[in-house]
Amino acid sequence: MIIKKIAVLLVAAIVSTSFIGCSSSTASKEIKIGLAAPLTGGSAQDGQSIQKGVELAVKMANEAGTISGKTLSVVTVDDKGDPSEAATVANKLAQDKSIAAIVGHFNSSATLAGAPIYNSAGVAHISPGSSAASVTNAGDYTFRVITTDAVQGAYVADWAAKDLGAKKIAILYENTDYGLGLAQVLQKSAGDVGASIVMQEAYEVGASDFSTVLTKMASTDADLLFIGGLYNETALIAKQLKKFAMKDLKIMGVDAIYSDALIELGGADVEGVLLTGYFHESAENKVAQDFIAAYKKEYNETPGTYAAYAYDATLIIIDAIKNVGNDRSAIQKYIAGLKDFQGATGVSTFDANGDVVKDPLRLTIKDGKFTIIK
Amino acid sequence: MKIKLTKPVLAVVFALLLALPLVTTNNYVLHIFISMGIYVILSLSLNFVTGFAGQLSLGHAAFYGIGSYVGALIMLNFHVNFFLALIISAVVSGLFGFLLGLPTLRLKGDYLAIVTLGFGEIVRLVFINWAKVTRGPLGLPGIPKPTVFGVELNTSMAFYYMAIVMIIVTVVIMNKIINSGIGMAMQTVKADEIAAESVGIQPIKYKMLAFVISSAFAGIAGCFYASFISYISPTTFIYNTSVTILAMVVLGGLGSIPGSIVGAVILTLAPELLRFLSNYRMLIFGALMVVMMIYRPQGFWGAGKRVKNIYKIKAGGGKHVGHIKG
Amino acid sequence: MFTQQLINGITVGGIYALIALGYSMVYGILRIVNFAHGDIFMMGTFLGLFFTQSLGMQFYIAFPLSAAATAFIGIFVEKIAYRPIRIADKLAVLISALGVSIFLQNLAQIIWGTETHAFKSGIEVSTFKFGGLILSNIQLIVIFLSCVLMMGLYFVVNKTKIGVAMRATSHNLNSAKLIGINTDRIISFTFGIGSALACIAGLLVGIYYDAVFPIMGYSYGLKAFAAAILGGIGSIPGAMVGGFVIGIVETFGAAYISAGYRDAFAFGILIIVLIFRPSGILGKKLVEKV
Repeated sequence: MIIKKIAVLLVAAIVSTSFIGCSSSTASKEIKIGLAAPLTGGSAQDGQSIQKGVELAVKMANEAGTISGKTLSVVTVDDKGDPSEAATVANKLAQDKSIAAIVGHFNSSATLAGAPIYNSAGVAHISPGSSAASVTNAGDYTFRVITTDAVQGAYVADWAAKDLGAKKIAILYENTDYGLGLAQVLQKSAGDVGASIVMQEAYEVGASDFSTVLTKMASTDADLLFIGGLYNETALIAKQLKKFAMKDLKIMGVDAIYSDALIELGGADVEGVLLTGYFHESAENKVAQDFIAAYKKEYNETPGTYAAYAYDATLIIIDAIKNVGNDRSAIQKYIAGLKDFQGATGVSTFDANGDVVKDPLRLTIKDGKFTIIK
Repeated sequence: MKIKLTKPVLAVVFALLLALPLVTTNNYVLHIFISMGIYVILSLSLNFVTGFAGQLSLGHAAFYGIGSYVGALIMLNFHVNFFLALIISAVVSGLFGFLLGLPTLRLKGDYLAIVTLGFGEIVRLVFINWAKVTRGPLGLPGIPKPTVFGVELNTSMAFYYMAIVMIIVTVVIMNKIINSGIGMAMQTVKADEIAAESVGIQPIKYKMLAFVISSAFAGIAGCFYASFISYISPTTFIYNTSVTILAMVVLGGLGSIPGSIVGAVILTLAPELLRFLSNYRMLIFGALMVVMMIYRPQGFWGAGKRVKNIYKIKAGGGKHVGHIKG
Repeated sequence: MFTQQLINGITVGGIYALIALGYSMVYGILRIVNFAHGDIFMMGTFLGLFFTQSLGMQFYIAFPLSAAATAFIGIFVEKIAYRPIRIADKLAVLISALGVSIFLQNLAQIIWGTETHAFKSGIEVSTFKFGGLILSNIQLIVIFLSCVLMMGLYFVVNKTKIGVAMRATSHNLNSAKLIGINTDRIISFTFGIGSALACIAGLLVGIYYDAVFPIMGYSYGLKAFAAAILGGIGSIPGAMVGGFVIGIVETFGAAYISAGYRDAFAFGILIIVLIFRPSGILGKKLVEKV
């Protein structure tokens, strides 16, 4: 009895898995781009803007006929922001030989779990959001359009200490690869520019109560609060800081908080928040302006930072396909050699490790809008 | 239509399983089967403590995580061979299982369940916050693959066969224990602690033993996972993972080895098969879990074996809920 | 800083306590842990958001309405997912509850999106300062309301007819049925009350932090469950005590030791207390019977 049931189940399992493993037959007129992003779970909000950015880029390319005689399509999989799920979907994408290259993953942990699979399958993937330092060594087929935490962390320290005169910095960071990475870099670079870290505390993603850490910060003599997190928590921290009227100090973040959600949630309390950024609507960048216009038309909202990175990652892949055709290893070589690619988030050039080199903008929030500090 | 399954047919199925990597080069299929294998070991190990010894645990992912981290750290820092690392992971996880078993000296049922849940959360927080050793949320990349006589086993096929071997070993060992005196004593404790005591069985001893054995197997699964994915981070060893493993055990049929295997197979495959539903995937998955429990509350395998409710016997003072529908 | 942190802790604790009441009552009646309770709390918050923002209602209409709607969700969940298997096995109910939890979380994501929403309730947050202390009106409302609701519930359970029926059902479901109590109705009533309280807690969270998101049920639900057990599950004052203890301990742990280990303090105190008092602070000891 037992044995029979197991046997039936195993047969069913084999049959059904072989079924899901089958890639649908590819029409020769179609070229596929893979997308692996967290569409559910804690990072779903970013995953969905990434999806929008990728789909928009593909749609625009198809309408413009960028790849003559062929249409592009997107194969989307959800990695839930979880490394083990990321490895599974990476296999799914890498296995499907009709996929030319992949945009993904978002979370650095997911990228690190997927990278070995893409590298051994020999398919290039461009991450739109993994800024952790360890992604640098992930392999030849791993690229990213976002700068490493090291670049932004050092930049922020310099800005805070040299230009704003902040000597005592408090750091609040989300307890993820991303937040910790930033906090560590900032801590290191603060010493170089003569600033000191007076408090460094972590919070869990999705936390809504910051009264405890803010009360603690109020008892230090910090003159600048650096937030190593995303827009939701930044808005909450700014609000609770104002609500308790504890202290008037500057709040600073990086490009990850560039989102309309920050202003929507934070309202008047996020006025004056300082941040670095690569993407801004008033920047003198035609690609960015076209992207913003098309995004608003398509989705009726303004794009955030990660939609823009995803858009750029897709543009690079499309550009590679256009130049070298639907050939995985040629695409990898093309991207590795890419120089001065003009995207919505600025000019991208990849270094030997597949990291991008870009200069950030300095932004602040003024009258409910992100504004470039001249 | 009824398909007759006899031993020869079973042999064919087993042969099919063995031959799978030879007929398909599809790494995605192999990857799912290997993940399934890891979950089979996890659900078998949880079944040991919850199904056979009757101790509800909501923190099984902690042992999976401890095994992963111990295995990964010793392989990365001390270049320990994978197979030795497997054993060390099992031992360390087992020690932590002993630690978690201690509260069972005094706690029961739901109170014990929340302690195991809390233990799981604390272990996860240690992984995240003890950054000096675990690199915290940054995770541990570049975990080596097993090597045998200098040959690196880095293909999915190698991991596939290793998973099959590990499952067979796990099933054989568990079967042996369960049918031995220890296993009998354990099930007696589960069925009725006081009766067990009256015949000279020490409940504490057997509950602790169940926790240790269960944790050790989860540790093995963890170490295997670490080497297979080559990257681990705390986000894998969360409460949701514990819950998924528990769902496998209950869905398959509590206290049944084939049941645990069936449960793991179903719950690993279902989300993959439902992928085409995109955003509705987890919604449907949740609804299916409810439907499956309503349709077969005793699990897919194990009907009739679970007439006894582990809680009913324990709830005292006439306060328990009746089980006769009026 | 000490007193300020104490106030912060009591505020969070009050919210845990309100959610914990739902766990505790359901457990008291059915001896099952309703693992979907955290997500019912989340649904309640989103319903409040829906009534105030999408339908433009005033909060004094919208909030009672969302509490009623959430009560309905709770009753519905029990009818669909728990009632058919109530007699089967506690673990089957538990897995079913987990299924409901996954379902509700994803349902909210599909209806309202994955993003965090501002919760513009129309209630202004104002702060008072006493010396170095800062208190907000919402903090006072949270503390006040959780105490009042707890006392009200205590009154209902101990002094009213339905309360007597609830206690009878809790004591022994079958005997209660035999003496003519409609136990199914009592169970529905319990789920309804527990869910409405969770909704109120959710609305307070919304007003206080001005932010709601689909996965908020997870961490609040887990802590409240811990609070219910810590206080002694099945006991109404126990849920309150448990909520406040967890809130205060985690706040002090985060403030004076490490914020990263915040949740570990909550669960740590739980484990320590249970080892010394295995049935919780105010729980009754269950006598084992052969």
